[in-house]
Amino acid sequence: MKRLSFAAFAMAAAILPAKAAELTVATAGDQNMVDYINQYLGPLFEKTYPGNTVRAVGTGAGDAGSQKILERFDAQSSANSAKWDTDVAVVHEKFVGPMVTKNYLDKYRSDIATGKLVTRDNAKMALGTNVDGYVMPMFNSQTAIAYNPTLVPNPPKSYAELKDWAKAHPKQFGYNGIKGGASGVSFVMGWIYAFGGGDANVLMNGPFKEEETKKWDAAFKSLADFTTNATLTPGNAGTLDLLSRGEIAMGPVWVDMFYSWKADGRLPPDMKLILPAPGMPGQPMHYVIPEKAANKDLAEKFIALATSPKVQAEGIVKRFNWYPGIDADNVKPELDKDTWNKLFVDISPEDLATKGKPFPIAPYNNAILEAYEKSVK
Amino acid sequence: MSRRVLGLFLVAPSLAVILFLFILPLCLSAVGAFRVDQAWGLGNFWKAFDLYTKDILFSAVIVGLSTVLIGVASVAIGGYLTLGTHPVAVAILRWLYRWPMFIPFIVVGQILRAFLAKNGMMNNVAVSLGLMTPLDATSFLDWRGIVIAFVWKQTPFVALLVAGAMASVNREGIEAAVNLGASRLRILFEIVLPQVTTTLAVGLILSFVTMMSVLSVPLMINAQSPTMLTADIAFRVNSYGDYGVANALGLISLVLAASVAWIYLRISLKEQA
Repeated sequence: MKRLSFAAFAMAAAILPAKAAELTVATAGDQNMVDYINQYLGPLFEKTYPGNTVRAVGTGAGDAGSQKILERFDAQSSANSAKWDTDVAVVHEKFVGPMVTKNYLDKYRSDIATGKLVTRDNAKMALGTNVDGYVMPMFNSQTAIAYNPTLVPNPPKSYAELKDWAKAHPKQFGYNGIKGGASGVSFVMGWIYAFGGGDANVLMNGPFKEEETKKWDAAFKSLADFTTNATLTPGNAGTLDLLSRGEIAMGPVWVDMFYSWKADGRLPPDMKLILPAPGMPGQPMHYVIPEKAANKDLAEKFIALATSPKVQAEGIVKRFNWYPGIDADNVKPELDKDTWNKLFVDISPEDLATKGKPFPIAPYNNAILEAYEKSVK
Repeated sequence: MSRRVLGLFLVAPSLAVILFLFILPLCLSAVGAFRVDQAWGLGNFWKAFDLYTKDILFSAVIVGLSTVLIGVASVAIGGYLTLGTHPVAVAILRWLYRWPMFIPFIVVGQILRAFLAKNGMMNNVAVSLGLMTPLDATSFLDWRGIVIAFVWKQTPFVALLVAGAMASVNREGIEAAVNLGASRLRILFEIVLPQVTTTLAVGLILSFVTMMSVLSVPLMINAQSPTMLTADIAFRVNSYGDYGVANALGLISLVLAASVAWIYLRISLKEQA
């Protein structure tokens, strides 16, 4: 019987016109990104547009995952493939710029209805490259300093205060350097925004000038001193880990990870977040469609669904504690009050607007990382 | 078809695999190390030494130290398995010592991360035994953690080789020494060990090369500065998309690994002379 029904399916599949398609979604990021597509977005899409299937491919955590997607596009471009094997890709902000300048991407945002709901500047400029129209933000994430209020009743409100606090409390501040995940990278970028000596806005918006990179010596010297007084943690999760076990009292974390850990009971419920002045970077992850995607129409439908207020509310905010990719005001009506408030308990929307910064543009970003490698040893 | 052609035909698939999956990428990465902005040059190496000299030394010292400790531990294990007189203890040791060999490096990293942390199991046990106070507890998640991970994981492999070689050493010499009243330690160092040095050296060199290439352990235990070269290579590729310096670092670690092999070759040539 079972075999017979399989045969019937096979026959039907062969006879029906090839309307049904398999949509390939390549995503960078942790396993939770793949799970999000496999367990939530994919089934929802398959239900909304029956007959089509979604195949999610995870390319690995962090920048490495996006780098792999970029290299895959590079390879297919230089092989002159007519149809590329990816329909939708989810990549980090840093990699969208090169994809646009190399003409790999389709300018699709005006084609989909939800395109109008995007308001943040980071959907127009990605670390100094104009990507307007090529990307839809999947979500926005933010880094902040997590702290243990029983050990730190009055958390430092700025980088300058933080510097003094860490001096007075050796080894109580922990961060993961720059090789163990982006929360540490973000902390370092914030340090340069605060003490870099130049104009932080130039770092965030360009243009790139070599002499700007010469102004950071004092900042890196103080960061090196700061680091000898700090605890170095193994990775983004490592910082939260040490925080939960009381080995450190404070450290930079991703806001979404912090809330997820808290929800899972892996962090004590009284832990809090603060966004120190002048601010710390956050970044979106973007949906992009390759110019030569095999199923472009379907890909647009997929992204339109994924960025609809309902999905942004249910999937992005409620499930993952990320900030929505589209304008938050459109998402708010879809959510109950508690969920909405939870997202803004420690960091108010005003904080986020004034102290949530983008990462520096790519050349400054690399220059800061390399200067860190050179001076903080 | 002559037998020779047939032979070549049979060996072709494996030869192709080696050529295209090992030799070719190796050559490409060696060539890539000397490419700077579409031109030839040593820029990648200057940058590698400028930024990572400390890490190069760190890798060499960490892996060297681990190799020495692995040598000591595996000789101790092999020696007890060969010369031990308590049958139950020998049986237990024989059963236990191989376990870490079947555990992947990344799992070792994960286990030790929980074990060696400041409030990890090791310190907790020491505190509850009254050996130290919670205030004295320090985290071992630095170079010590890497050494512990390497030694823990690689010792069984070398011990397995060494114990096998020791078992095949002629018992008559050992028994003669016992009859003449030599202590077991003396038998180990003066009779057994000299006969298994080649095996020991092979095991240690293989371990050295393996440890040079491990990425997961430094990433999980200590991806700070200084760290192992593998973590730097991954960082160059993932954060900067910079294959040039990554290739240069790869060549440098190849030189480190090859130098050990060279020492080994010299020893074995001297023995034959």
